[in-house]
Amino acid sequence: MAMAVALDDPGKRIKKPKNLSPRIQWLRDYYFQGASRAWNNEFTAWGTGMPWDVQFDEMTFYIVPETYAFLQTFRSSMQQAARTVKLDPAFWTWSLPERKAWFIREVMVNYVPCEILPGDLIAGGRFNVQTSMCWTKKEARQRDRLIYGRKGARASMKWFHDHGYGNSGATSGHLIPGYERVLNLGWKGIYEDLKRRYEFLSPKEKKGSKGAQLRAMMTAATMPRDLAYRYAGLCERLAGEEQDPARKQELVQMAENLRHVPWEPARTFWEAVQALWLTHMLVMSDENYPGPGVSFGRIDQYLLPYWEHSIAQGMDREFGKEILKCFWIHANTVYDAMVRIGNMGITSGYGQLITLSGMGRGGRDMTNDLTYAMLEVIDELSPILEPKPNIRLHKGSPDELLDKVVDMISTSQGSPFLLNFDERSMAGMMRQAKKAHVEHLINEDNVHDYAPVGCLENTMVGNDRSGTVDNNLNLLKAVELALNDGKDFFDFVDPITGKREKVRQAGPRTGDVESLKTWDDFWNAYARQTQYIIEQCVELYEKSESIRARFCPTPYLSCLVKGCAEKGMDITQGGAELNFTTLEAVTFATTVDSLLAIKHLVYDTKQCRLQELVKALKSNWQGFEKLQALAAYKTPKYGRDDDKADAMARAVMDLWCEKTWKHKTRSTGRQFRPGMLSWNYWVGDGFILPASPDGRPKGRFLSNAICPVSGADINGPTANMNSVGKALGGKAENGPGDWDGYLNCLPNGASHTISLNPSLLRDPEHKEKFKAFLKGSLEQGGTSLQINMIDAPMLRDAQKRPEEYQSLLVRITGYNAYFTAIGRELQNEVIARISHESI
Amino acid sequence: MKTDVQRPEKLQGLILRIQRMSTEDGPGIRSTVFFKGCPLRCVWCHNPESIPDRPQMHWVGSRCIGCMSCIEACPEKALSAAGSGIDIDRLSCTDCLCCAEVCPSTAMEIYGRYYSPEELVNELVKDRVYFEQSGGGVTLSGGEPARQPDFARKVLESLKEKGIHTALDTCGQCPWERLEMLLPFTDLLLYDLKLMDEQLHRDYTGLSGSQIQRNLARVRDYREEHHNSLEIWVRTPVIPGHTDSVENIRAIGAFIHDAMAGAVSKWELCAFNNLCIHKYDGLGIDWKCRDYGLVTESDMERLVQAASESAGRDVIVHASGATMGKESGGHPPAPEKSCPPSGCETPP
Repeated sequence: MAMAVALDDPGKRIKKPKNLSPRIQWLRDYYFQGASRAWNNEFTAWGTGMPWDVQFDEMTFYIVPETYAFLQTFRSSMQQAARTVKLDPAFWTWSLPERKAWFIREVMVNYVPCEILPGDLIAGGRFNVQTSMCWTKKEARQRDRLIYGRKGARASMKWFHDHGYGNSGATSGHLIPGYERVLNLGWKGIYEDLKRRYEFLSPKEKKGSKGAQLRAMMTAATMPRDLAYRYAGLCERLAGEEQDPARKQELVQMAENLRHVPWEPARTFWEAVQALWLTHMLVMSDENYPGPGVSFGRIDQYLLPYWEHSIAQGMDREFGKEILKCFWIHANTVYDAMVRIGNMGITSGYGQLITLSGMGRGGRDMTNDLTYAMLEVIDELSPILEPKPNIRLHKGSPDELLDKVVDMISTSQGSPFLLNFDERSMAGMMRQAKKAHVEHLINEDNVHDYAPVGCLENTMVGNDRSGTVDNNLNLLKAVELALNDGKDFFDFVDPITGKREKVRQAGPRTGDVESLKTWDDFWNAYARQTQYIIEQCVELYEKSESIRARFCPTPYLSCLVKGCAEKGMDITQGGAELNFTTLEAVTFATTVDSLLAIKHLVYDTKQCRLQELVKALKSNWQGFEKLQALAAYKTPKYGRDDDKADAMARAVMDLWCEKTWKHKTRSTGRQFRPGMLSWNYWVGDGFILPASPDGRPKGRFLSNAICPVSGADINGPTANMNSVGKALGGKAENGPGDWDGYLNCLPNGASHTISLNPSLLRDPEHKEKFKAFLKGSLEQGGTSLQINMIDAPMLRDAQKRPEEYQSLLVRITGYNAYFTAIGRELQNEVIARISHESI
Repeated sequence: MKTDVQRPEKLQGLILRIQRMSTEDGPGIRSTVFFKGCPLRCVWCHNPESIPDRPQMHWVGSRCIGCMSCIEACPEKALSAAGSGIDIDRLSCTDCLCCAEVCPSTAMEIYGRYYSPEELVNELVKDRVYFEQSGGGVTLSGGEPARQPDFARKVLESLKEKGIHTALDTCGQCPWERLEMLLPFTDLLLYDLKLMDEQLHRDYTGLSGSQIQRNLARVRDYREEHHNSLEIWVRTPVIPGHTDSVENIRAIGAFIHDAMAGAVSKWELCAFNNLCIHKYDGLGIDWKCRDYGLVTESDMERLVQAASESAGRDVIVHASGATMGKESGGHPPAPEKSCPPSGCETPP
């Protein structure tokens, strides 16, 4: 197939931005100055001044193991840095959500500085804040007890992670707020709706939690108005000082826009983008969480009426793009949160996802001029990370769109976006509706309105919180437990304190290896342990979920999610119409290949006994190199389009999905649903989980999301694609399937990354072939696809000379990262991945 | 109950490998089946492992874990531990494949395995959706598919029954009857013309080129008899010092123009590269072309021009494969394009 090629100047391959006006060029260059900028959007902390005050909510970082060691530091440093806000005299007499709503509004409107950068067409700069949790002393004490107790949330999540199960925590973001409603009604409309609902309450309800929640939401609903007015005043002042008449006019217009939106409905495209940005950035302020997964949904659909109207009124198309480019730059300032500390873990790739194109009612294609304008904006600004574009493809996607997509892939270092496959994705959403009995909310008439959040997680829009990164479970843990009668292989030794925790009977006793005489015996043990690890995850999640529901309301966000006003309930308490939390399975392929190896080596060909295999694993294969090689090279693997191996993948999938659907949170009634995101855990947890029966030693990475084990997919991209499709359910043999003949057991979707050699796109003929590959993938593959179009020499060169590759983007599991900013191990992994040819 | 009646040997084909999502062996996305066994001995061959008509073993150093199982298993004592890995005494080795059997890491790897037609077709139909979306299909290549005519015919026939586009990539060195067996189930014929000079053909491929040319001319007649439904592409490997003279290209062009008279629709000039060195090393063969550089871009342009002029306007000529930039001049070559060459010499 493709081959390695010596490159005379690999640096030439990195995409360069193009067609930028001096305004945008300046803003982009300024942004990339990073920490040396005079202006930035780094966290500012704000407090009540009380000694028990807390800003930093550690629970939202329970899914980021890199931060565990710093949780206490973050809490204390934010506390120390917090400037005191002068409280309303009645502050402490209010309910918690009312205090929260008032406090965040006070900070954003009256404390956080407002600036407009030179030439910027959009207002709304600083939004990264850490604000007081507004707890009374008693609340703070109660909450701390639940977090820090011996069996508290922190100790429990740490135990879970230390022992290789994965991680879990009630996390912010990861939803698509109802932005379209803000554009249509204005915040005034939302405020009036809340007020009507409040007035409709009985006196008793008004005194209770419903009344408190609605009052808090009413307060929150005025925050965007008041902040917009403040920016309007600033624009007016700047316009007065401005010498350049063209810029002066822009500032005057901006002030006018801000006097109108987001309080009133938007009238023009410029107003709509302004309203969207302010509304969006305040979600991140409200949650004290910059970015992750607060996504925009189908932006080329709900902004289209404004775009068409303004174009008809004479707006220059290029000026419309200029407005969008300013919006793009703003979205990137999320990364300023820790600009001086440096990005780490989740902060090296946020995920304000936008969704372009896709299917509409009756299978109609929804691509429009704004879709193309946005693709042009991405193309011209790239490489740039945010907002992360997702393009929805389906059988009826027009050739013009596919051509543009292929062109962009060929000129970037891969796709500058996620590709979502509508038919398979919608099949998953329909399956979810049936499983959770919410057919009235997700059905044939509206399922096409779905959109992904964060990395690639499919949800509905404006009424859905699905906790898409809240639970990350290593399926492989069940293999370890099944091989050791429900116990870990080893004592746990804390790497910092050296404290040893003896192996104990954690999981159910499913039989020692002697008693697992047949493959069925082993499978049953594995199934029982799978059930156990899922139950453990559900129990762990309950801790942070119930604490958040009690102590961490987000009334502003609740205004933007349907169901909260109707129920008078905060989104953190389960207010959204669609309440799911997603269990994201990690290590899928490693688990499947491990089971395949056990079946093949121990039960089918009897090349070794189970006892011997366990001994080899406990020795990390030391002294068992031949057995390791057999496991690695001479056993069937998932990802090769081998029907027998893929049937094992399917069995593993069906099992854990079925067990997952059985659970709901007790405190908030959220239904667990299955997905496969696996973000970056497959890297770090490879150092926690012991050697696995597929030949992997401890310390080697695990498999990523639904991808085959790195390097196992020796039959090329189409075989890889077919295996993924089969693992998700394939197509219905007889009958209608979940959607249009497609089956999909993962409503959340599954991350699927393939790396292809750039030679595949070298000329028009090959671009056509690649387009056909995408169309084939729509039918055969998973819910989404990301493409790395890079080659090993280029990446090795980037390792040697990182300074010359600052803007080299790679994409792994749905998050984009600058290659030089990721760790060496991950760099090596990316290099291993690009080589479909190198096995 | 026992019976003495021997069931007839099942029809089987010896296949080197299947390459899925090939974009270089005909139109669209294709699955290319490399047959094992070839009548020619081209000095520049890119697939030396495709030449012998039997399975062969070779050693892949990067996979070897040094367990020495192969040495213990070898009944001929042909293997020994050498400084750089496993040394194979090719004179003693009988290709019994015992070593590959025991090797845990597939470092001792077998080139070639037997497939029944059904088994092979089952593999090939797995990419049907991609074929349909791209106008692609299956290409039988090699080695030489016409060397296993019954098997190849059966495979092509089943593919046609399933409505899959078929291409046959042949060197043309076989009795006409064999080609005639395969053509009814072939949509596209990829035909290699390497050298027109009879002596050079003998020198560089081991055999005369006359049958190859004769067969191609008969294909033209066959095509006419069958309403011109067969598409024909000619492919010429451009090998420095062997096939890359303007005279040779013009002679091939003249043949295409005169003898084929409009039957050929496309002519591909495939530039040489030496990336298959590792295969020769693995097989313990000293390769004459190991240090050959890439064809220069300007030479390639000249050859394409000569080809276009000589073959006539109806033939689309195009170049493939990596070439050396005009300015680069010397060594090491810096290819500007990373294209695998076409023809029977697609390195994995």
